[in-house]
Amino acid sequence: MELVGLEIEEEEDIVIAHVTGELDIVGASSTGEAIVDGVPTSARALVVDLGRLEFIDSSGIAMMFSLARRLGGRRQELRVVARGGDPVHRVLELVEFDRAAPIYETVEEALAELSRN
Amino acid sequence: MAGLTIVLPHDPRVDDPGLGLIALAAAVLGAGLLRGAERAVMWQLHLALVLGTGMVALANDFTGQTALYPLLFSWPILYAFYFLERPAAAAHVTLAALAYVIVLLDADLPSPLVRWLLAIGTPAVAGMLIARLLDRVRVERIESRDRELLLQQNEARTRIVLDSAPDAFVAIDRDGSVRTWNAAAERMLGWSASEAIGKPLRALIIPPELREANDQLRRDLLDPAEADSTRVLELELQRRDGSRFPAEVRASRVTVRGEVFAAGFLRDTSDRLRREAEREALLRAQAARAEAERVAEMVSGMQQLVDAALAYRTLREMLPMLVTRLRGVLKANAAAIYLVEGREQLRLGAASGGSPAGADGAPLNFGEGFPGGVAAAREATLAEPDGDSMIGVPLLAGGELTGVLVLCAASPRRFSSDDLNLVRLAADRVALAIDHARLYERELKIAETLQRSLLPERLPRLPGLEVAARYLPAAAEAEVGGDWYDVLSMPGGRVGLVMGDIAGKGLAAASMVGRLRSALRAYVLEGHSPALVVGQLNRLIWTEAQDGHMATLLFVVVDPAEGRMAWVNAGHPPPLLVDGAERPRFLEGASSVPLGVLPYPDFRESSQTVEPEATVVLYTDGLIERPGENIDLGLRKLAEMVRDAPREPDALCDALLQALLPDGAPSDDVALLALRTIPMSDRFDVEFAPEPEALAAMRALLRRWLRHVKASEAEVGEILIACNEAATNAIEHSGVGARTPFEVSGCFEGRRVELSVHDHGAWRPLRKGEGGRGLPLMRAFMDQIDVTSTAEGTTVRLSRTLY
Repeated sequence: MELVGLEIEEEEDIVIAHVTGELDIVGASSTGEAIVDGVPTSARALVVDLGRLEFIDSSGIAMMFSLARRLGGRRQELRVVARGGDPVHRVLELVEFDRAAPIYETVEEALAELSRN
Repeated sequence: MAGLTIVLPHDPRVDDPGLGLIALAAAVLGAGLLRGAERAVMWQLHLALVLGTGMVALANDFTGQTALYPLLFSWPILYAFYFLERPAAAAHVTLAALAYVIVLLDADLPSPLVRWLLAIGTPAVAGMLIARLLDRVRVERIESRDRELLLQQNEARTRIVLDSAPDAFVAIDRDGSVRTWNAAAERMLGWSASEAIGKPLRALIIPPELREANDQLRRDLLDPAEADSTRVLELELQRRDGSRFPAEVRASRVTVRGEVFAAGFLRDTSDRLRREAEREALLRAQAARAEAERVAEMVSGMQQLVDAALAYRTLREMLPMLVTRLRGVLKANAAAIYLVEGREQLRLGAASGGSPAGADGAPLNFGEGFPGGVAAAREATLAEPDGDSMIGVPLLAGGELTGVLVLCAASPRRFSSDDLNLVRLAADRVALAIDHARLYERELKIAETLQRSLLPERLPRLPGLEVAARYLPAAAEAEVGGDWYDVLSMPGGRVGLVMGDIAGKGLAAASMVGRLRSALRAYVLEGHSPALVVGQLNRLIWTEAQDGHMATLLFVVVDPAEGRMAWVNAGHPPPLLVDGAERPRFLEGASSVPLGVLPYPDFRESSQTVEPEATVVLYTDGLIERPGENIDLGLRKLAEMVRDAPREPDALCDALLQALLPDGAPSDDVALLALRTIPMSDRFDVEFAPEPEALAAMRALLRRWLRHVKASEAEVGEILIACNEAATNAIEHSGVGARTPFEVSGCFEGRRVELSVHDHGAWRPLRKGEGGRGLPLMRAFMDQIDVTSTAEGTTVRLSRTLY
């Protein structure tokens, strides 16, 4: 069974996707598709919240890179939330994901940064 | 007079022969009197007395006083003989003879005393004798007159009796002429006695066309040669006015003083015949009423039959009861119901009595045998195929043939067309009941299928954990219940155990279970706390279930890696925890109201440490509740059973069901779920199916093992990621559809963690693109990585020293 959960909410022109559970090869691509589907073209930015994600593997990382590429192609901004010290955060650091999209500690920080622009 | 002869002067001429003649005449007269006195009539008596007087006078004249004496003595002698028995009379004669001798001795000159004795005594004796004779004659005459009077009275009475008799009495003589004709005959036949007597009877009362025959009858009856002197005849008679009536004649031949008569009583039987006819009509009416009552009884019996049938819901239960009752209501020897099966085939559904066709379970084709014939014709049939009377009626529901009802009556009983109509009525109801049952069964099947599909088909494989579950639908209520359970692999290697009970049954309950189950799985993946998950389920029931669904729910999350469990209980019986040597205990914790009762109830989470080896048991109330039994007793019993039962979950479940439901048929649904954690050691070696879904289970085990060897939170996370990459590769190496499992083993020595992932596929060094990050991740998180690839497969060894 899939262990990944996805909850999408919209705050004005920003879409927030909470990815929970464990993101591995089983749920990675479908989760990516679901997130993209959840972002209307009218949206300015997407915040992917990995703060409550308990596990991520290389497929999950690949999905995140793919998401960044696709949003970039649609001129929409991507922000990622991950807790510092968390294995998920460690993996994102390791694969230098911050070169694809900025990483924040909390959803609020990400939203605040987006509202400043 | 004799005294006169004594006192008169006379000549003593004793020798005169005239005296002898007189004596002789007196003797004859006396003898005649003696013999004939009984029958003597008056003038004879008078004559005898006159003769006697004459003789005495003559004797006096002829004889002297002495010669007269014998005559005088003849009076007492006569007297004695007349009144006394002969011996006594003889004694008097002797006395008289003695007295005569005395008188002769003193005869010459009778003394004055003797003369006076004779003068007074003789008339006295004679007077008495005469008075006695006269009296006797008088009495006889009175008696004879009385007899005549009695006879006359008797005759009159007989006539009165005859006249007042209700039956006519008629007597005819040999010629057929009427001799007697009583009052009843007058009334009955219209002829008065004076008119009838002397006339030929045939002309009076026999209808003209019957006279010839009647004459013969009369001749036969009157023929003395015929032994049979009495006849009872049913005749038609004619009245004076020409009207006719049926009559019963009791005629007898009577012979009176040599003359032959025929006498008979005639009775008008038209009343009797009418009464008989009325009685017959009454009997017919009674029979008709009885038949009507019988039919009414059958109809009501049938109504009861259908009511009873509708109480049963499944065909399997209903059909045997239906045939038994049908057989009783229609008083048949055997009854059977066949059901249409597939195309043009019948199969015996149930039978009562006899040996119906198809009893061996083989289907009957339409047209085959009596039931098949009825099915083919689709018409109610009354027949006697093998001597027994059979009724077959098609069962039609909405114009569709669903079966055939067959009844059989053994000879000599034979079904009538009324019976056939009755069975038709019965068949309508039976068809209806069967249709209902079929519909119900269809719904039941759907609900059952639905519910079965809602229960986990198989439980997730959880390395380091053992789990078993049982679900027993209620036996009596052939309806799907609302009990359900689920076992969820949750993120972080946690295991979710769900046990729920939805109020209500049937399709609605089953579909609600479906909604709850999928909602719960979704909420769990969103990473919410158990209390929040249950709160969301409550919202779902509260807002979406229109018909006020209520459900109890127990949601337990076991985290074997952390050795903790948390649970939320919404009105459900508490979970049971068995660990170490301690007694099993119910985890009461915080309890909340069931789901669907309040819009925002406070669902609180309770938690509890779980020892490395522990068993959690979840169940529904069907396991512990017994009618009329305290629920605490049920709980206590359950705890005792769990204590004594084996720990292995499958064996535990079986033992519990065996002990608590020995009959195997619970009165309510029962769901039971048991989870056991297996203690970890420093080494592990587990095989996993080569499919991506196994990765989560692998991580759960590894996470728990790493916690067991006291790895830090960060170390656990990183080693998991590294090992997961190796395992992902192993699955990819095995290829799509591979069956051979891959193995993951672990070893902890000193502070060093050594992991090995071995597959049986071909090593592919690097995945391009997105997949290419596997090896770098492994390298980043582990101290050392070693890949060995042979023809048999690939082994990746990962090691890291813990802080």
